[in-house]
Amino acid sequence: MTACAGPLPPVTVRRGVAYWAGSYRALTRWHLASLRMWLMLLTVVQIMTGAGFVLGFALFFDHIPASAALFVSTGVPVINLVVVGLIMGPQLVAQQKLQQSYDFVRSLPVPQTSAAAAWYTVCLLAGLPAVVVSLLIAEARYGISFAVSPAIVPAVLLVAFTGTIIGYGLGHAVPNPMVTTLVTELLIFAAFGFTPILYPSWQLPGWLATLNWWFPFGHMAVIVRAGLTSGMATGIASSYLIVAAWGVIGVALSAWALGRRA
Amino acid sequence: MSITAWPGLTITTRSGMGYWLASLRSMTRFEMGRARQWAALMVLIQILMGAGMALMYGFFYPQITHETALYITTGTPALALIPIGFVLVPASVGQERLAGTFDFTWSLPVPRSAQATATFLLFTVLSLPGAVLALAVASWRYQVQLDISPLIVPGVLLSALMAISVGFGMGLAISNPLLINLITNALVFVVLLFSPIVIPASHFPPWLLAVDRALPFYNMAEVIRAGLSIGLVTDLTRSYLILLAWTIAGWSMTAWVVGRRK
Repeated sequence: MTACAGPLPPVTVRRGVAYWAGSYRALTRWHLASLRMWLMLLTVVQIMTGAGFVLGFALFFDHIPASAALFVSTGVPVINLVVVGLIMGPQLVAQQKLQQSYDFVRSLPVPQTSAAAAWYTVCLLAGLPAVVVSLLIAEARYGISFAVSPAIVPAVLLVAFTGTIIGYGLGHAVPNPMVTTLVTELLIFAAFGFTPILYPSWQLPGWLATLNWWFPFGHMAVIVRAGLTSGMATGIASSYLIVAAWGVIGVALSAWALGRRA
Repeated sequence: MSITAWPGLTITTRSGMGYWLASLRSMTRFEMGRARQWAALMVLIQILMGAGMALMYGFFYPQITHETALYITTGTPALALIPIGFVLVPASVGQERLAGTFDFTWSLPVPRSAQATATFLLFTVLSLPGAVLALAVASWRYQVQLDISPLIVPGVLLSALMAISVGFGMGLAISNPLLINLITNALVFVVLLFSPIVIPASHFPPWLLAVDRALPFYNMAEVIRAGLSIGLVTDLTRSYLILLAWTIAGWSMTAWVVGRRK
């Protein structure tokens, strides 16, 4: 055999901020376009779930105590923020693996970080409408007036980031789509039922509360709550640290999963 | 072409009660053989859903009163039966439709009514251990003294049979697997938050209670609760009648799909 004759095509290594930003823009648009039906349905489901939690929680009590109402109202936004990235994200990747479009998506000539950033943006956009609606419904139903402070902005951004990046790492790291589905189903059950998001942590048994201190979910609720109320949340700094630490774990997991060769 | 008569081959139309019972026996064995793959997983899911939900509901309350504990414990068997009948059965029926399993089983020389009966019986029996285990976990957790009466037997059996019949009929009658998925997920969410299964019905606004009275979930909890406690349940006959009506509805849906020609 002879080597390929003729001049090689010019190879340009694409890099730099402009290329990164271009990739980010293109992928965000690509996600929004390809998932438009799914995202619209998801937003509706999210709004209904949020409203359902806010309204349904009152049925557990004869007369819901004001503190319980405040807890559930400020906890539901956390669920709205992380459910897309943490639960739906991995399931979407699993579906791509099943449909064998995963390799195509992975082969797109974009930097991995801009791909992750684009996905984060999409998850954030999918979560925010439900957050707003849940809070409005809580105000109307329980007569709560939230003390919204600027701290809500970093809280929302960080909570959505950590939830999304853990899900991102999970989706890419787990090879078997069935396992991904099972893990996310368990995660949604464990993360929303057995963590102090919707209720204060002292209502949990001591050992479970201690265990939860090491996981991000209760702390996500703390930092979101700190941005919506005044004087209710304590230990805000350590909560930020733990949520951020889980964000770093998520980044590491994603980097490992995406960096290895298939 | 000429039709060759095979010497010695006689055609007998097989019918009658004896033939039906023999078919039922062999189809039950057939279904049991298939069930070995997933029966353990089913019991596991039931324990997770039933016992897990029972534990989770306890976290919602600042103080768990005796009444709260009693309602949660006596509602647990219903919580363990609902996911089998309304999630697992429709999903597996949907999958089997896609895989063409029914094309095979319906081609077997046994009456289809015997096939359906075998499936219903088997699932009903298989759903019982999980319900009992979930009840055991809940009563251990909340240390509630139960007053178990013979009413528990018809209560649990009818509840299980109803859930499986409706689930089976739903899985057969709705051909779109995505739609089944959506309905079952929405059902579980609505049931877990908006049905008085682990909550006294007096917490509910009248219009919502009226809806729940017509749906099967609240009535399942009521007939089971009547067998586990004294004085909590009124209007038991009505609950039994509504469950019976739903069972017949499930059978009719099944009969309609199973009986028609393609």
